[in-house]
Amino acid sequence: MALDKKTKNKNMKNKLTLVALFMFIFLIPFALLSLSVHINIRSFDHEGYTRIVFEGDRGFEFHVGQSRTELEIKLKERANLQEKITSFTRSILLDRVVHQVDKNNSVLKVHLKSRFKIKRHFVLEKPFRVVFDLVKSEREEADAEPEKVPINTNLNEDKPQESVEPKTEGNTITDTDNDNEQDSEEDQPSSKKPESIETICIDPGHGGSDLGAVGKSKTMEKDITLKVSKKLKQLIVSRLGLRVITTREKDTEVSLNSRVSIANNQKAQIFISIHVNSSFRKSARGSETFYVSLKATDQEALLLSQKENKSFEEIDKITEDDELKMILWDMAQNEYIKESSKLASYIQDELNILLHTTNRGVKQAPFRVLMRAAMPAVLVEIAFLSNSYEEQKLRDDAFLDQVASAIYTGISKYIYYHNTAFGYK
Amino acid sequence: MNKKIIYSLVGLALVFFIGSLIIFLKSSGDSKKKEPGVLAEDKSHEEVKEQAFLKIKVFFLTEESRLMRPVHYEIEDLPIRQDLYRNFIDLLIKGEENYISPVPEGVKLRSVYFIERSQLLVLDFSDELISEFPGGTTGELEFIYFFVDNICYNFKEVKMVKFLISGNEYQELAGHIDMENPFYPDYSYIKDTME
Repeated sequence: MALDKKTKNKNMKNKLTLVALFMFIFLIPFALLSLSVHINIRSFDHEGYTRIVFEGDRGFEFHVGQSRTELEIKLKERANLQEKITSFTRSILLDRVVHQVDKNNSVLKVHLKSRFKIKRHFVLEKPFRVVFDLVKSEREEADAEPEKVPINTNLNEDKPQESVEPKTEGNTITDTDNDNEQDSEEDQPSSKKPESIETICIDPGHGGSDLGAVGKSKTMEKDITLKVSKKLKQLIVSRLGLRVITTREKDTEVSLNSRVSIANNQKAQIFISIHVNSSFRKSARGSETFYVSLKATDQEALLLSQKENKSFEEIDKITEDDELKMILWDMAQNEYIKESSKLASYIQDELNILLHTTNRGVKQAPFRVLMRAAMPAVLVEIAFLSNSYEEQKLRDDAFLDQVASAIYTGISKYIYYHNTAFGYK
Repeated sequence: MNKKIIYSLVGLALVFFIGSLIIFLKSSGDSKKKEPGVLAEDKSHEEVKEQAFLKIKVFFLTEESRLMRPVHYEIEDLPIRQDLYRNFIDLLIKGEENYISPVPEGVKLRSVYFIERSQLLVLDFSDELISEFPGGTTGELEFIYFFVDNICYNFKEVKMVKFLISGNEYQELAGHIDMENPFYPDYSYIKDTME
């Protein structure tokens, strides 16, 4: 009996040992898998550049190297990719990404169909993404000497959004974190030297059947904006001798897209949209100058996530539309945020001084009319039509003269800053 | 001696199992979904959940300040999130006495749906939103962020809000703000009054 018990106990222990060993062996691959970073790769051809995105399930440190037709991303850890070789048959620039992995390191080699330059390179979070915008290289001197360009990126996992500092000679690498708002946008350098200012586009808000805001005394926003725009045009032409174009000269309806197209087609270097404000709060008063706030990359992430939900047939069906949308989202104003912010500040300062109106300051919002402006662009809200006191002021022509003068002075100061900063006389 | 080895192995395997499980869950990024009705960083909601009521804070416009002021409510914590969102938005449209409503007269919520993967809440309003909107940049921003901030503040699973009007996407509401893209919250409208 006792022997039986002993044998049973022994059997039980053996079973337990086997279970423990099984668990141990079975879980090793899980543990290893969980320690490595999972990376998804995707790419899109945009107008003028190709974007490649490496999306990790968490942040990772990486180093970037570049040769003639190869972009190399080195990770100091193991990476997991769905495929060892990811091919991009449809891409204009990308050929394939080859994934090489050893014990503790991974290398993602992006092979390109031709010589290339990195136009932009930035890191986004939630989810963690490393984004490269690549363009075909046309510079012979860049091609003459193949170069390995190391970019050290020590990304802290807790702060994957922190931008890195890639600086190269012979290659333009602009590093931005588009997720961050004002600060990073203001730090974002423009990729080319701004032109000297010769043409200014003034956009009188609303018009035609689009009345804009209407005050208690039936003062219409569309009339005030046209009056102020004409006064402003007169001041700029007569005092600065610059070319001024306006999006409308009379009481006509012009779509927001057309307004910005006029400015872009005429190659204006400044875009000023004139508006009159209105609020649900009757007490709201004062002037405000806005420049655009962009969340383009997040929109892209959204689009991609929506895309990933679709079947292959659906993807094929939506690709054209979505890519078009993505091009639209790749908003021209992104390049001019810093300059737009400066311009807005100069104008707002003058409005505060000359008008003694309540300073509501410089603000950012996603204005449709500003988004696609390929130049520094601001929107001025002169005063509130919803406020009875300010509506009366807006009906006074002398007040409108003051407003035009304040905006003019702000623009003049900006032009002076611009010319000094970029070496124009 | 054998016993010790076996116990050690079993112990080691267990520790390894638990450790691997934790690492695996963490790295796979599958952050646990919050239980319906429980709001993150607010213990009071957990208590309320047991009573099937949800404590919420709605921020309303006032004449005195540019910042929206909070009003506390308790609403039924419905198991179907869609219904919960609808009730919440109806509450916003209804407004509160002594506060300013940035919702034009006659505007109704036609439908609401949540795209979980994108953490996007889509609100479809009636035509009155366009026909009755008084205009003005500030008015537009007041309307937009009244909804976006209140929704995202009270429902942490919602990261952005998109507006439709009669089922259609509109480029802008009254000639200023881009409405084609979804909005993230801008808590500068409620910042100073958040508790």
